[in-house]
Amino acid sequence: MASKIPINYLLSPIRYSAVNVPVLKCFAPALFCRYASGLSRKDYKARDQPKKKKKQRKEFKNQSLRDTVQYSLCDAMRYIRAFEVGRNPTSCKYDLAVRLRTAKNGPVVRNRVRLPHAVNTSLRICVICPPDSPSAAQARNAGATLVGEETIFDAVKEGRIEFDRCICHVDSAQKLNKAALGRILGPKGLMPSSKTGTITKDIAGTVKGLVGGSEYREKLGVIRCAIGQLGFTPEEMQRNVRAFVGEIKKDLALLSDRIGKDIHEVVLSSTNAPGFSLNGDFRSPTSPPTRDLGVL
Amino acid sequence: MNVVKRTKKLKALLDIRIGPGAAVLSNDVKRIHLNFAHKLNDGHLGARKVWRKYLPRLKYHNPAISMTVNRTLDQGGPATLTVFFAPPPRSSSATASPAPSSSTDPSAAPSGHAPADRIETIDMKHKHESEILSRLLELTRGITYEATPDELAELRDVDEEQKRSERDREAQARLNEIERQEKALLDLARGGVVAA
Repeated sequence: MASKIPINYLLSPIRYSAVNVPVLKCFAPALFCRYASGLSRKDYKARDQPKKKKKQRKEFKNQSLRDTVQYSLCDAMRYIRAFEVGRNPTSCKYDLAVRLRTAKNGPVVRNRVRLPHAVNTSLRICVICPPDSPSAAQARNAGATLVGEETIFDAVKEGRIEFDRCICHVDSAQKLNKAALGRILGPKGLMPSSKTGTITKDIAGTVKGLVGGSEYREKLGVIRCAIGQLGFTPEEMQRNVRAFVGEIKKDLALLSDRIGKDIHEVVLSSTNAPGFSLNGDFRSPTSPPTRDLGVL
Repeated sequence: MNVVKRTKKLKALLDIRIGPGAAVLSNDVKRIHLNFAHKLNDGHLGARKVWRKYLPRLKYHNPAISMTVNRTLDQGGPATLTVFFAPPPRSSSATASPAPSSSTDPSAAPSGHAPADRIETIDMKHKHESEILSRLLELTRGITYEATPDELAELRDVDEEQKRSERDREAQARLNEIERQEKALLDLARGGVVAA
């Protein structure tokens, strides 16, 4: 066995072609103290020793913001508009990422917020309640597109589902269950249930929350949310960003002192643009007039 | 977000501010509309390059000008750049209206747009992007934006950084190659031992 190795060594073409290859350890004299498995004594030693455990970080790592270039809202929007030029304005959105100083474990921030200027305006809402009841009128006022009971059940059974969200009044819940729509609406996530808060007494409030409401939750220490349409003016964006960050601050304040989370950085981005760290100012001296920034 | 990534993003921002296409157009230009096909066969490449390379710079320096792109599926169709001129708006107060028009929708074609005094069209088919750009600047009396000394210094820094990383990449590739050869040799030796 030992006699084979030198032959191998001589025949190896790489040995001759590559001049700079350092002398390999396995071909050094140490070769003779090999074990049967092919490992050297040194390798064995390394294997037997327990692996050093890397110290786990308890918190998400945050880079210092001291040297970061930060932008005012108008400047960031100017760049983003340039990156988004010629894109479909209905499919591209501004989005906001809020970086938190937070531990890796523990509760996450999760809530829904109603922005002053809705991002997704085309949401169709269906309300199941008696069409002549006062709550039906409220629902229509709040922006529901479909209101009724039997007519909706029939339509759904025929396969015409012309809504994106479905809410049911408590009094109509029994009728809804009798209509046995669960097999049609259930897989689409449209079946009202008290667990998700879609069977409710306060129809008007729920519908208002759904129209222009958006959900957010913390993932890996960052909260991301679509914050505006591309055609928004800086003023509208400012109101939306303020409302959103204010809501997050409220959520953070509600957590117990022991958990202690706070906002590290706010970054504005969009579908096709890089992220711009915001410095909290509305505009800088070099920003263009705010009227111009809403132009598509 | 680490520091290296941030520097790379900054390079992108510098590219938007300076370079070909960074120009301030005359203030009676109201809208620029590009119309070309999805794919590049049959002379639509220059048009796409104008959109990808120059339009962001134009938009950065002229945020008030509406710039829209419409890409058709008709590969044999025309590739045109349309410039709409209108008298410069009086300084009206900014009104917040959340009504973004759909610019890439074919229904919002240039003809049905707001009143324009004058419409000029550039044929982009089978033309190089630089040719289209010079024609556009001539038409709109664009004044090329001069980079400030700060920006030029920044550009030099970025270039140096790129050269450095190129050198480092090569060095690392050499190292990896040596490591790979060593490993191959080792495997060969091991395999020989096991076979015996």
